[in-house]
Amino acid sequence: MIDRALGARQDTTMTAPPLLRMRHISKSFGAVQALINVDFEVNHHEIVALVGDNAAGKSTLARVIAGVHQPESGTIEINGEPVTLPRTAVAQARGIATVFQGLALAENLDVTANIFLGREVREHGLLAEEHMETLARDYLERLNARIPSPRTPVSHLSAGQRQCVAIARTLVGDPQLIVLDEPTASLSVAQTAEVLTHIQSLRSLGLGVVFISHNLTDVRAVADRIEVLRHGRFNGSFSAPHDAYEEVIAAITGATTIRN
Amino acid sequence: MLVRARLSGYSHPVAGHVLSSGSQSALREANSARLLGAVRQFGGITQVELAEATGLSPATVSTIVKQLLLAGIVETRSTTRSGRRAQMVTLAHKSGLLVGAHIGTRALRLAIADSRFEILAERTLPLPSDHRLDTTLDRTALLAMELVDGLGSTTSEILGVGIGLPAPVDPTTGMILDQGLMRGWANVAIADVVSSRINSPVAVDNDANLSALGEARFGAGRGFRDVLYVWASYGTGAGLIIDGEIHRGPRGTAGEIGHTLVDPQGPICRCGSRGCLDTLVGAQALIDSLRISRGPMSLSDLLEFASSGDPGCRQVVADAGAAIGVAVANLAVAFNPEVVVVGGELAQTDVIFLDPIRAAVNHRVLISRENPLEVRRGELGSLAPVQGALAMAAELAHVPGGR
Repeated sequence: MIDRALGARQDTTMTAPPLLRMRHISKSFGAVQALINVDFEVNHHEIVALVGDNAAGKSTLARVIAGVHQPESGTIEINGEPVTLPRTAVAQARGIATVFQGLALAENLDVTANIFLGREVREHGLLAEEHMETLARDYLERLNARIPSPRTPVSHLSAGQRQCVAIARTLVGDPQLIVLDEPTASLSVAQTAEVLTHIQSLRSLGLGVVFISHNLTDVRAVADRIEVLRHGRFNGSFSAPHDAYEEVIAAITGATTIRN
Repeated sequence: MLVRARLSGYSHPVAGHVLSSGSQSALREANSARLLGAVRQFGGITQVELAEATGLSPATVSTIVKQLLLAGIVETRSTTRSGRRAQMVTLAHKSGLLVGAHIGTRALRLAIADSRFEILAERTLPLPSDHRLDTTLDRTALLAMELVDGLGSTTSEILGVGIGLPAPVDPTTGMILDQGLMRGWANVAIADVVSSRINSPVAVDNDANLSALGEARFGAGRGFRDVLYVWASYGTGAGLIIDGEIHRGPRGTAGEIGHTLVDPQGPICRCGSRGCLDTLVGAQALIDSLRISRGPMSLSDLLEFASSGDPGCRQVVADAGAAIGVAVANLAVAFNPEVVVVGGELAQTDVIFLDPIRAAVNHRVLISRENPLEVRRGELGSLAPVQGALAMAAELAHVPGGR
């Protein structure tokens, strides 16, 4: 798609392979071609937005990255190394963490339990509750979260605070790449402010972020690069700080197309 | 008087950890400080949440809240959380609320303060480049309302709203006159748009002017009558405080050093003139000069790399300091301020940016002989324009201490 080591850290030179490189990815569900020959790249310390209309293939691509769906063709490289992601656990072990639209938090459990759900830290076979709580506190602090306590039940939290717990959960196990599917959908402005700030903090931590959204204002506020999908095909790559709304919208709606 | 409500997050949850002495009154004082810290961090927080956030027992929280309530430091209101009645605790703000907002090039910063300028709630919303008037003003009004709501208050308690913008604002109409500096924002009555949403008086001014006011009132310019404030951000501006008052000029362009001539053969600036200082030191120019060595990056990346010792980025920031320093030194000779205060994002790099300005000022004999003109770093950081906007809101509402 484009080859630039955007925001490459001090020592990583521009020749370093991207954090994630996907080539010629295709995926169909029966007669529906969800992804057709899509290339996609994310670097360390970069926020890449994935935008497009409904059914453009954004969430399918996210699910391929997360190891939920298997592409029918195409290759995936992480830091230059070819990989397959047959299961979500494999993707997680490769440093990919995903927050899906539903968040999938357990209402009845507290913040700490949700952050470590399915990946509980154990000591001598017992749950290391204090250790997990300390870690949870640390994740929340790194994201500058306004959550009273890691012991607060999730049912007591606002939509923005829940999104923050879901993002904090991705930090378990030191990931390299975070995929966020519609993290600002149906949030108030104050909550959007917090979530966008969290996304910026992930970038400052040196992580790569894939930010899927319908909201071009939110996308252009934090993304470095915007990749447009239309009916499963790649339809344009834009620099978020430089390219105008109109150009991105034209690509989303198909007023401009790219032949590939 | 200003007490800044900034807390870096909650500390250890268990009461007594921070204490070295075990005396009862010291314990009570420490618990009370911890509780107030949590109230400041969250703006509004229920007693149950306070117990969770501080690690104190609900009974202790209840006792301390009662004491603080009697002392007039906090207020409580009835609210509901998850369907249950709860007591919301906030810092006292019975005398009304002030709203200060800075609509910057890439971020909206908004704070709600009480009439003594203590900040009760604050948020930063990242903005897209070339953000649009309607969306941004809509979000500004909504954010103010949501934060006020979070304090258990209503918008009727808002005494005044101050807004800072990164372009010269005409002091009589409150409009941005220049078409090129903020696309789509010119010739719109911004104060009216926001005032019709929030239903309280709104004033608008240039962000460099408001930062100057903020630093003069609450920060590095306190105690001076004549201050030259330099705001070095995505663009460069200056705010002039003359005899304690902002000097705006009839068109509001006073202090716009970013649009003074530095290169008669230079490129055309957004404002339409040739060779402006901003074409040399604006964020885009700084980033572009690193294109070959580093590729595209954001201004905050550039400043972070400079601070962590990257030679190319340091060079770019230092050269910007030298170029801005010449403009500042010239203005200082003509205007003869008591002190120069430097703020805005570039000032985050401290001596990398400030020392070249100091050098340029020191080279002007008239202002460096005997009592050399001091160049200080601002104390309020990115909150300077917000603090200034709060001061302007107070003036608007005739709150004592507002001026």
